[in-house]
Amino acid sequence: MREGEPLIQWEWIARNGDQIIGRLVQHIGLTVIAVGFGLAISLVLALLIYRRRALYGPLSGIAATLYTIPSIALFAILTPITGFGSIVTAEIALISYTLLILLRNIVAGLDGVPPDVREAASAMGYSAWQRLWRVEMPLALPLIIAGVRVATVTTVGLVTVAAVIGQGGLGQLILSGLRSFFTTPTYVGAFLSLALALALDVSLLSLQRMLTPWARVANVAAGPR
Amino acid sequence: MNAVDLEFRNVTRRYGTVVAVDDLSLLVPAGKICVLVGPSGCGKTTSLKMVNRLIEPSEGQILIGGRDVMAQDPIELRRGIGYVIQQVGLLPHLSVGRNVAVVPGLLGWEGKRIDARVDELLGLVGLKPGSYRNRYPAELSGGERQRVGVARALAADPPLMLMDEPFGAVDPIVRERLQNELLRLQERLAKTILFVTHDIDEAVKMGDLVAVLQVGGVLAQFASPAEILAHPASDFVARFVGADRGLKRLSLSRVADLELLPAMTARDGDPAAPLKQRLSATAFPYLLLVDEDGRPVGWLDQDDLPGDGAVAASAAVSMSPLLSRRTTLKDALSQLLDADVMAGIVVDEQERVLGLVTVEQMAGALRDQRPAAAFSDVKEVTVDDA
Repeated sequence: MREGEPLIQWEWIARNGDQIIGRLVQHIGLTVIAVGFGLAISLVLALLIYRRRALYGPLSGIAATLYTIPSIALFAILTPITGFGSIVTAEIALISYTLLILLRNIVAGLDGVPPDVREAASAMGYSAWQRLWRVEMPLALPLIIAGVRVATVTTVGLVTVAAVIGQGGLGQLILSGLRSFFTTPTYVGAFLSLALALALDVSLLSLQRMLTPWARVANVAAGPR
Repeated sequence: MNAVDLEFRNVTRRYGTVVAVDDLSLLVPAGKICVLVGPSGCGKTTSLKMVNRLIEPSEGQILIGGRDVMAQDPIELRRGIGYVIQQVGLLPHLSVGRNVAVVPGLLGWEGKRIDARVDELLGLVGLKPGSYRNRYPAELSGGERQRVGVARALAADPPLMLMDEPFGAVDPIVRERLQNELLRLQERLAKTILFVTHDIDEAVKMGDLVAVLQVGGVLAQFASPAEILAHPASDFVARFVGADRGLKRLSLSRVADLELLPAMTARDGDPAAPLKQRLSATAFPYLLLVDEDGRPVGWLDQDDLPGDGAVAASAAVSMSPLLSRRTTLKDALSQLLDADVMAGIVVDEQERVLGLVTVEQMAGALRDQRPAAAFSDVKEVTVDDA
């Protein structure tokens, strides 16, 4: 940062509006793809575990291992394989980080379905498939969405790191500010990234409220059921 | 749908080497309630769950209306059998109405027909459709959930109902009311019902037939409640039924079986003098005050009646328990003893006074019962309880 310069130059923001919005959109895109694919993969894995419980240990172990790899290192490891600056490189890493949280929450959600409810559903004549989709998944929804919220907020933060391989969305602003000792883009990038995380979190929360009206009364009247 | 026979033919269920149900044979005639009763570990719930194949028998056959359950598709089979369990198992994410609609929905009924059926059933179990249809199970009391559970089990009009301790999770007062309501419903519906409980009082009250099971899934006795109380087939049954068998037989009679005593009733403002005079001539010198609709308000002691002027409702004291004609004598006696009064007021559905019953009458009913002779014809003893 140069002496005497204000932290934020509003005039720079005005001049670079298009670039900022472009980065924001890219950031949203990277996040949505990561969480979307992560959710799809986790669902498939959770269904495998639902069928064959013994898979839970190994699969969640793999997801946990992926989660512990430092993100910068993972980008570096993937670059020779999938290419520098490619969206595939960024997404493979980002998706990997969502798996642990999503997988654990989906499995915990399905495990949390009360046994009497499961048995009553079978006894009424739901087939196994109908019971899973019409009873167990809906009841697991609060935990699944809670997982999606954590995964989303985490991913919004991680996307900025992908700037090191040129796929960072708002991270590019942050990085360019750092490189040029010009603070305005860094502040803009950090602020928008934070705002985005909050906005997505709140939207998901409202989505959950909308999808699970029964959970609100349940929390008041009968505890988590 | 017409009720069907339910038959267990030499049914055995093993878990490894452990026998849960041992060579069980019994026939429940169509339209009857058969109660499976016994201590925990006697295989009663296992037996029940074999009927809709939640558990499958290791040996033997279970026939519903003559058809072997193992020869039927389990999903189809279950949709044709009502099922009520202790925890009710309502689907928490569906409203009351949609819970009741589950089986008709699975059977592919049309929307309008389902809606009409839901309202009909909620009304049948005493829940106003308008105020309950859209509520969630978590918003209901235990008793209300049980009612919804029963409505749901009845939804597709199955000929056979399985009930596993359906009233086990509610308090005694609600339980008694739900039991009475189920009996009242059954008079109309005449379903074949297999009912599991560990409570011998409930078994005696609810069952047309009672099957007493002992640990290891062995049938100790299968007979009418009166027969089981009068002639327990083995020491085990006698012990399980308890030392107060005579008292339990009060569960077999209802208030309606007694001759109701007329109650002298009066309303607020009636002239007191003639009432006082008439009252002094009766054996039960209490005046029952009723409101405009004939519903009881309270008692007036003969001595508290003014010699002239009018009866004042404000002088009325302590109510007796209100009994319905369907109340069993055991429940009635217990309520009178709890309230520490000698007479109960019998009322109709609108709570209008029909008459009185007294503790003495119930004692009389006990005396009239045929004494269980110590060496009476011992029926075929199915079990060696040595």
